[in-house]
Amino acid sequence: MNTDRDIIRRSRDRPAEFAALYDRHASVIYRYAARRAGDFVADDVTSETFLVAFECLDSFDERREDARPWLFGIATNLLRRHHRAEARLLKAAARAAPREAAVDSTDGIAAQVDAAAAMAKLAKSLKAMPAIDRDTLLLYAWADLSYEGIADAMCVPVGTVRSRLNRARRILRTGLGPETLDETENEHERLAAAPRNA
Amino acid sequence: MNDLQLLRGMRSDVGSAPQATLARGRKKLLSRIDAGTVGSGFGGAPEAVPDGGPRRKRVMARRVLLASAAAAVLVGGIVVADVVAPGGRPGATAEAAEVLNNAAANAIKTSDPTVKPGQYLKVDTKAVYGATVSRANGTVVSWLETQDGQVYVPADMSSEWVWNREARVPTTFFGKESKAEAERYVASLNGGAGPRLEGIIRGKGGAFYGSPQQILGSPLLDAIKTLPREPRKLLDLIYERTKGSGPTPESEALITIADSLRTGVIPADLRAAMYKAAALIPGVVVADKQATLDGRKGVALGVYWADGKLRQDIIIDPATGLMIGERTMHLAAMDGIPANTATGWTSVKTSVVDSAP
Repeated sequence: MNTDRDIIRRSRDRPAEFAALYDRHASVIYRYAARRAGDFVADDVTSETFLVAFECLDSFDERREDARPWLFGIATNLLRRHHRAEARLLKAAARAAPREAAVDSTDGIAAQVDAAAAMAKLAKSLKAMPAIDRDTLLLYAWADLSYEGIADAMCVPVGTVRSRLNRARRILRTGLGPETLDETENEHERLAAAPRNA
Repeated sequence: MNDLQLLRGMRSDVGSAPQATLARGRKKLLSRIDAGTVGSGFGGAPEAVPDGGPRRKRVMARRVLLASAAAAVLVGGIVVADVVAPGGRPGATAEAAEVLNNAAANAIKTSDPTVKPGQYLKVDTKAVYGATVSRANGTVVSWLETQDGQVYVPADMSSEWVWNREARVPTTFFGKESKAEAERYVASLNGGAGPRLEGIIRGKGGAFYGSPQQILGSPLLDAIKTLPREPRKLLDLIYERTKGSGPTPESEALITIADSLRTGVIPADLRAAMYKAAALIPGVVVADKQATLDGRKGVALGVYWADGKLRQDIIIDPATGLMIGERTMHLAAMDGIPANTATGWTSVKTSVVDSAP
């Protein structure tokens, strides 16, 4: 009785059951939306995601057990309405790069400065890449979906996810430059421990 | 650091969702659920839709969906309006407790069928679901759909189970319009790309979709061995695992017991503990001494919610302690469904067979 699919099935006969799905996933949807477009948008996108999901219960693929790809797919569509808010955040983050080298160059502060510079470069790259690649990349890196989960969320074959991710990561790496990356090519990294429903 | 690790690092400056925001979103969702499910029944139940907003919006949303796809059919539109917890009784009524405790005793006396190596326990289920569709003109019609299925459980329960799922077909209509809508819906499904839910599937240990079936939040095969046989402990565990879900804790507890029993594989000692646990649920009553489900007679034990408009029953054969099935009763007319209709039920029959498909 405890998988997402079970909750969804039960909520067909007993709609109030659907609230259990909200309790389970609203906070991760919120965090994802907040990271992408800010708290104000996240508030709206989170509640709207579950309202849309409830209206379209039949669009959930019953072969799946985990509802997260389905919910993130809905949230991603809703976030497109807020692309301006997202662009504003990315623009601000891209500008936040430190303009001068740290005066006190102890290792700790140097590392912080490096990290801030890297974040700024990432934001710039994210802003520059095609929306569809950005969606794919962030579903992977921020929503912790697997390739298969992203394929479900975006209704595309897994191969498409792979090529979008490769493209997006190439843009990221180009933006970061070789001095930030201390690893060789690693296109096929998988999440070590993607959270799963128990 | 590689690019993905750096990118993931960007998440860390976003805090978790504020509780107040989550609570507001939940409230919004619940009011939509309530508004939608109050539907056209109960004379509009204005007090359940405080501002009239969500409901109107939902009808609009559905209208849009109807224009685009069959996705507008909400299978099982059920009224959960003003949820009223049953009175503060210490447990089931004396009458219900007696039936449940006797059934528990008989469940233990009547031994479970022996499944020899090579044989299967065949669990035959007939399940009926309510379907409700709201149409462009704002009216709501309903019908019932039936789906039969057989699960073949091997003597060694950890080896491969076989599940034959038959087609889900509309079977009960409430008037001409209901039948026409049902036919339209079925036609739209046949042309669609929806998931196939028919045919035979196989799964080791009953894991038909890759991961084990669960009852009460534990994998089924573990649960039937390890769930407490002490009724109070079992009920406490049920309350704990279902906390916050369902219309009321009491109805949710009985529904959970019904869901577990309808797997057909609950051994007699655990079945007995479940009956005794049900006897401890406040508000459980003997709802019908002569209940008939799928042609079989038994005693229906139920718990009311939604202001007495809905009732969840489990139907037991008191002589053998076997569960005949479970059902959800609509006691008031709603969405074109007349009062006192079982809008969802499952009947369960078990037997021992020599082979599986």
